[in-house]
Amino acid sequence: MLNLSLLTPALALAGLALLILLADMLLPRGRERWLAHLAWISCAGVLCLLVRGLGDPAALGRGTLWTVDPFSQFFQTATVLAAMLCLLLSLDYRDLPRRQAGSFSALMLLSVSGLMLLTAAHDLLLIFISLELVSLSSFILAGFERSHPKSNEGAMKYFLFGAFASAVMVYGISLYYGAAGTTRLDAGAPPDPLLILSLLLILLGFGFKASLAPMHFWVPDAYEGAPTPVTAFLSIAPKIATFALLLRVYGAFFPAGRYGLQALLGLLAALTMTIGNFTAFFQNDVKRLLAYSSIAQAGYLMIGLAVGTPLGLQGAMFYSFVYAAMNVGCFAVVQAVGREGGYGLDAFNGLAKRSLGLSLAMAFCLLSLAGIPPLAGFIGKLYIFAAAVESGQYALAVIGVLNSVASVYYYFRIAQRMFLREAKGEPAALAVGPYVYGSLAAAVAGVLLLGVHPEPLIAGVRASARLLP
Amino acid sequence: MTLAHYLAVAALLFLVGLFGALTRRNIIGILMSIELMFNAANLNLAAFDRFLHPGGVAGQTLALFTITVAAAEVVVGLALLLAIYRGAGTVYVEDYNLLKG
Repeated sequence: MLNLSLLTPALALAGLALLILLADMLLPRGRERWLAHLAWISCAGVLCLLVRGLGDPAALGRGTLWTVDPFSQFFQTATVLAAMLCLLLSLDYRDLPRRQAGSFSALMLLSVSGLMLLTAAHDLLLIFISLELVSLSSFILAGFERSHPKSNEGAMKYFLFGAFASAVMVYGISLYYGAAGTTRLDAGAPPDPLLILSLLLILLGFGFKASLAPMHFWVPDAYEGAPTPVTAFLSIAPKIATFALLLRVYGAFFPAGRYGLQALLGLLAALTMTIGNFTAFFQNDVKRLLAYSSIAQAGYLMIGLAVGTPLGLQGAMFYSFVYAAMNVGCFAVVQAVGREGGYGLDAFNGLAKRSLGLSLAMAFCLLSLAGIPPLAGFIGKLYIFAAAVESGQYALAVIGVLNSVASVYYYFRIAQRMFLREAKGEPAALAVGPYVYGSLAAAVAGVLLLGVHPEPLIAGVRASARLLP
Repeated sequence: MTLAHYLAVAALLFLVGLFGALTRRNIIGILMSIELMFNAANLNLAAFDRFLHPGGVAGQTLALFTITVAAAEVVVGLALLLAIYRGAGTVYVEDYNLLKG
């Protein structure tokens, strides 16, 4: 059964992206900003479409290469929401070439529609194509400030790692085809060595996108060089969508326990957390620091996968939603501060005197990333660590808790600079654009509300943690 | 010619590509090595299709898509390379060291 109508939201978004590209050619010069507005409005429209379809049996089902189930709907909603907030951030970002607002928005939307396809794919063909759609558009987005040497260099490194990882992944897919006789993931192939090898090579490709530890080298460079709204986007949307894919492939289709991958996944989780956190200690550039922090956060999410129980699945889902809110908040503040002072940690000195609201928002997001109650990050970590303890994987839970304790140090380094240090010279008020305020407000509201009142999201996660076979 | 021959050639091609991608210093060289890896996968797909699943089309379809996507990837890569070459004036990876830490 083709069931193409199941993919309406993703295809609508892709169509809108092409429409924006077309309009870019027809619009008179100087009106490119309309297209940037059109982009976030399209995201909002698709979000409405998705929310309307939540829990609607007509929107669920299986197609030839895709399965739309509550699980994929949850991740699609989270991805589109995060992308919309990042598009809002980009409206106030000055360094993007103005004339290219149309192609920037179109690339963002194409990348998001690739991510939406990714969360619903159950066939390696669709997985490969949507992953490449995401990768190719993010390579270009990362290098969008063409006059900026750092942006070019970050994009180049991102591209080289990305192309390498996808070549390895395609080789893995070809071996999978040999072992299973099909590219469908639900073939239920027996765990013979060829299949395990192919699953490992495919994991390498996915791990690159999700920035898991041995494949994380591109992350700090690409994040530091990319325009800040793009950094925010790259740190959230591809990561959570790839986690949806990892949970689907290594949680549902090839349960790690049956294929002997559980120890490997646990090891990856521990390695990712530890490397991310301990390298973040030594960073003096905020975007780089947040890049390592996002690697560490991927490690916490990975625990949910390594545990492999329904509770672990729910924990990873909850945490990825919360993670999106926290990171949007952090990068909104980083963008506002970085516009004048650059991205060094020193730019945050005495921020509380210049804009108390901004520094409080940043503090909330950082404390939430560190997992301090009563913020949303705490509930998410509690959920994941509880899942690890419940399934008897005490080592993972202990490593996770130790890592969160250690991470408090570098998150507080920023907070300490904002509140306790004096800025150089007279503290001048910070000019912040209205769109940055808008998405910052949405993110902080999420972090605070989901922290003190997480029940609605927990109920949503419980209802969505259902994968169609 | 049996399946094993094809698989051996593909594996060799993949390893040559892997070695090149990890050791080359010139970005064009790295790109070429990555292409070798993609083509190893294509060879695998075609061989499996012919010997294990004759009459099936999934492998050939995937190979066609891989060829197309690999071409698109190279286009993006060369565009990025051109942008960076204009600024830095070099195509050797060890000269790209603005970002570190």
